[in-house]
Amino acid sequence: MFNSLLKDTNHRQVLFFCITIILFSFIITLLSDLFSVNFISTSFIKTLGKTLCLCVIALSMDVVWGYCGILSLGHFAFFGLGGYMIGMWLMYKRTEIIVLTASISESLPLTPQEISDAIGNQIFGVVGGSEIPLIWVYADNFYFQLAMVIFIPGLLAFVFGWLAFRSRVTGVYLSILTQAMTLALSLYLFQNDSGLRGNNGLSGLQNIPGYDDTSQFVISIYFFWASAFFLILVFIFFFYLVNSKFGSIITAIRDDETRIRFLGYHVESYKLFVFVLTAIISALAGALYYPQAGIINPAEIAPIASIYLAVWVAIGGRGNLYGAIIGAASVSLISSWFTSGQAPSISLIFYKIEWVNWWTVILGLGFVIVTLISREGIFGFLKSIFIRKV
Amino acid sequence: MNNLLEVKNISVSFDGFKAVNNLSFKIGYNEIKAVIGPNGAGKTTFMDIITGQTKPDNGDVLWTDKQYSLLLLKESEIAQLGVGRKFQKPTIFENKTVLQNLIISQKKIRNPFSVIFQSFNSLDEEKINKILNEINLFEIKSKISGELSHGQKQWLEIGMLLTQEPKLLLVDEPAAGMTTEERKQTVKILKNLSLKKSIIVVEHDMEFIKDLECNVTVLHDGSILSEGTINEVSNDENVIEVYLGR
Repeated sequence: MFNSLLKDTNHRQVLFFCITIILFSFIITLLSDLFSVNFISTSFIKTLGKTLCLCVIALSMDVVWGYCGILSLGHFAFFGLGGYMIGMWLMYKRTEIIVLTASISESLPLTPQEISDAIGNQIFGVVGGSEIPLIWVYADNFYFQLAMVIFIPGLLAFVFGWLAFRSRVTGVYLSILTQAMTLALSLYLFQNDSGLRGNNGLSGLQNIPGYDDTSQFVISIYFFWASAFFLILVFIFFFYLVNSKFGSIITAIRDDETRIRFLGYHVESYKLFVFVLTAIISALAGALYYPQAGIINPAEIAPIASIYLAVWVAIGGRGNLYGAIIGAASVSLISSWFTSGQAPSISLIFYKIEWVNWWTVILGLGFVIVTLISREGIFGFLKSIFIRKV
Repeated sequence: MNNLLEVKNISVSFDGFKAVNNLSFKIGYNEIKAVIGPNGAGKTTFMDIITGQTKPDNGDVLWTDKQYSLLLLKESEIAQLGVGRKFQKPTIFENKTVLQNLIISQKKIRNPFSVIFQSFNSLDEEKINKILNEINLFEIKSKISGELSHGQKQWLEIGMLLTQEPKLLLVDEPAAGMTTEERKQTVKILKNLSLKKSIIVVEHDMEFIKDLECNVTVLHDGSILSEGTINEVSNDENVIEVYLGR
């Protein structure tokens, strides 16, 4: 598979990347609560684990935009859908356990109907219903919901991509369409009768059914490692994909779509392939992200999230997998530092700078400055310095 | 006589302007034909119709002894059947190396699923090396193609056509911007190719067409003005009027 035109140095790069991530994970684990060092808090482990998932979706974005030239402003829709699909299982299963535990104290055993009503009440009481919607039929089955993590976003990407690419919608128009798709999805999920608890979203996702006795910091370490391995896996997969003949073809599509069509390639199938593939990987990243976040609601799918994603990749350097990771990790970590109120406000005589509000201004300025100084983002900038030294 | 490509009574108009008007054209196996005509005569539209970029209002385009109608096919399918096109400006992928350019144009199954699993074996490499030698680019096959000279880019594009192993080559102004020496070489290569392939050349350069020694079709206002050898055509009164009467 992936017959590529790589040299040994390229393979060494991949190895280097994997070792770096694993070393990083080890260090974080050693400094965590797990070994009573307590240097790094559980919530920070979660932030790091989430950041690794964001790096995965940034890699997807880089492949679809940086390599294939499709500026999708809708990949967070797939990320969110993945989160919703796994969230359904997490929430249903946990509620079921709670209901069953409570029923032990009852004098009469509950009938299946009563159990289902009780679960329905627990989950959907907040949107004024007690009936379990049809889409939750298999929510108690982990493997089914896991399959849905791949299937539902994949199907959405396939149908949307098929319609859009077949009509040869490209460039800005395609970006606008993807924005419209995300917006429509998020507006739909905001409705109470969408079956996914409207604007309340799904919550309590940090409690993993079957691991009730395990403390949160152990779970957070598990998820952190799972995210690290998933990032490594996706990186290796994408690295060999973009450096193979397939990668050559998708970059050719980015550079000159008409020309590659005259070489006999069906451009639309390639775009669709890349779009669906990256959507599925984004969805899997989402399924790992939201158990760490603990809550998902339709606001997560808002168009702005996908725009930030494009900004991360642009700042880090697109058309380069390392760049996407650098961009996503640095910008999202800095952003969570600024917006969580940890950054000290600066009191001027007549005005108080509160970073929660001013962060977006910094981000915007940073975006403009980085793209002005180096078109290839931070990574391109670092590379040019490094190469000059050599 | 067997025809590789037969264009029958095609017409196409853009906003009322008839770019091609009731045009018929045939080319046999292993034949070279040149198409000439002043600007706006419909040469490019004619090529666009064959490659499927433009669909004609009426008429038909038939392929390999009327087995297929190209009008029903997509651009990529037409290219896979064996129609290769060389554009007027060299359109190579400038970010890729010479070798990468040739690899992506090499004749192989082209759907995304099989491309992922395709291997670049020694047989493929041999074929590409042979073509690299023919186009004089073997020494610089790892160079980024954007850094090549204009002539070398033209060669690379011809090489990209060759790796596709097409049956019919559509060549748009191959000699444009070339030195006399390079032009001679191009004539040699095209003639050599016509032993195994059919070629349609669109060219302004009369000397070049004389050297090719092939049949010439003169287009004017979207239809055929004259056909024949270069000598017959250049003595045709209509042709003289169109070219010199302006």
